[in-house]
Amino acid sequence: MEKMGIPSVPIITEAYMDLARSVAAERGMPTLRIVFTPHPIWGKTPEQLRAIVDGPDPVTGKAMMKEISDALTTPLSPEDQKSGLQPVSLGPPVFGPNTSDDLQKYFMDNAMTDYLPINIPTEEKVAAMLKGTSHHPDEEVGKTGGGANGAWHYTVKQVAVNAVMAGCDPEYFPVILAIASSGRLALEGSTTSFCDTMIVNGPIRDKLNMNYGIGALGPFAQPNATIGRAWTLMGKNLGPGAVPGQTYWGSQGNNLNYNNVVIAEDEKSSPWTPFHVQKGFKPEENVVSLFSGWDVRQGHGAKGAGALIPKFDEQIGSMFPTLARMFNCLVILDPLTAKLLVDQGYDTKQKLQEWLWKNSTITAKEYRESFLAHVWLYPRALAGEQPYATWWKASDDTPIPCWPKAENIDFVVAGGQTNAMFQIGNFNYIGSVSIDKWM
Amino acid sequence: MNRRKLLSLLGMSPVLLTGSRAAAEGGHNGDPKARSTGSAPKFTALSPKGTPPPVMLYSMAPSLSTLEGKTIYLVDTGFFGADLLLQQVADWYQRNMPSVKTVLRKKAGTYPTDDPKLWADIKANGNATIMAIGH
Repeated sequence: MEKMGIPSVPIITEAYMDLARSVAAERGMPTLRIVFTPHPIWGKTPEQLRAIVDGPDPVTGKAMMKEISDALTTPLSPEDQKSGLQPVSLGPPVFGPNTSDDLQKYFMDNAMTDYLPINIPTEEKVAAMLKGTSHHPDEEVGKTGGGANGAWHYTVKQVAVNAVMAGCDPEYFPVILAIASSGRLALEGSTTSFCDTMIVNGPIRDKLNMNYGIGALGPFAQPNATIGRAWTLMGKNLGPGAVPGQTYWGSQGNNLNYNNVVIAEDEKSSPWTPFHVQKGFKPEENVVSLFSGWDVRQGHGAKGAGALIPKFDEQIGSMFPTLARMFNCLVILDPLTAKLLVDQGYDTKQKLQEWLWKNSTITAKEYRESFLAHVWLYPRALAGEQPYATWWKASDDTPIPCWPKAENIDFVVAGGQTNAMFQIGNFNYIGSVSIDKWM
Repeated sequence: MNRRKLLSLLGMSPVLLTGSRAAAEGGHNGDPKARSTGSAPKFTALSPKGTPPPVMLYSMAPSLSTLEGKTIYLVDTGFFGADLLLQQVADWYQRNMPSVKTVLRKKAGTYPTDDPKLWADIKANGNATIMAIGH
């Protein structure tokens, strides 16, 4: 509104003071007048909120309403009226020369790592990484989502530096470039502590010796470990970063951020169509599919998990109501579990998808009271978007599916077949990217 | 119980007691050159940073001379508590500056969504905006 000539004041809780000021500066108004309240304001009674409005701004100590009036009526200073393009410093292109230990410390002190030791990205190591692709080091790979002034950009070489730091071998580099080209960098800033997930499909899984057998989701193979780690390091370095209190606000953080959830699908043992083929790619193509969301939980807590004759459709469905509605669902099945589901009659992923969507429901009351429903679901209902509008108006006891469409439930197969296990991720599918393009 | 027996009970090899060969033999980072010279080798590291966009500065909107008789839009972004807080702000103006007209509005869409219709409404009919972000 300020850019439209209307004097404006944002009221923000004090927990977001640094964020508010950095966003104002990034968007071209570093002296924007911001008023702060105590944190949080959510869940307060009208009397408590009135006391906040009648009380002081906790940052300045001035009366809040007087501060709002002053913000709207105090004449602008020369600093407030500055305009024009301001170049941003790139920072030094190299660090050192220094010892390995000192460089490790420098990278940590400047928040460029995940606080685990890194492989120091020397010119020689980065040059070796660059041999993993035919693309020119200066080629632009992608850009971040971008703020008001535009996005951060990054080149093949800048991505290579992060891949070296993560401990990747050069042959993994096309996978990392494919991820980077999506513009989706790990470490979303949300207070709700996101994490990210990838599925790798195609012959490259075997070429890189990715693990999709025993311990498929664990720390048992270099490509699984380091490709995921590279995603996090790219999130720290290639965009505005993940600086707690400025560009990252995950209240509790997410342990999966260390290397995200990296899944190489077991295409040979799976009884179903590989994930990338479902998305329109050919079986022989190498593809990485990306997801974003909150968590992965084991199926051990499912209803009937200890039954002598397990019904995996019901077990999986019993966990759906425990997932949040803002994100969808990725079911990660051991091949043994997938084969048992085929025995139950689910010879395609689509059949299982349909059954789960129809039979795993919550009540409309539970839907309306689900996490972030008022922030994410209600505005869509208000705008008349279906099925949100209908579901929001339904009577309390009306059963409704956990997600708008059956397609919101995805499946992938990986695991060592030592036990019929499954895990469920609360994730949204973002998209699939060709790895071959980055060979 | 001695450490060797404890490790054995835990299913671990007593070899662990001997420590790593690299740690035993290596000097600084196990580098033989560093051991022989007594000084660690030095490296130059490349920056892992991407390229930020330039920042375009904008002049802030001209201030009002007074709020008396003005119309202030109170905009709720949709995050928790913003609507209730702004209701208290509206009540405050009613009690303390009754000549100020307040218009409570909820921004359309989910929180990252733009609402050009609302901005146009404020531009046409308002003198100032107070926006509560919530949380």
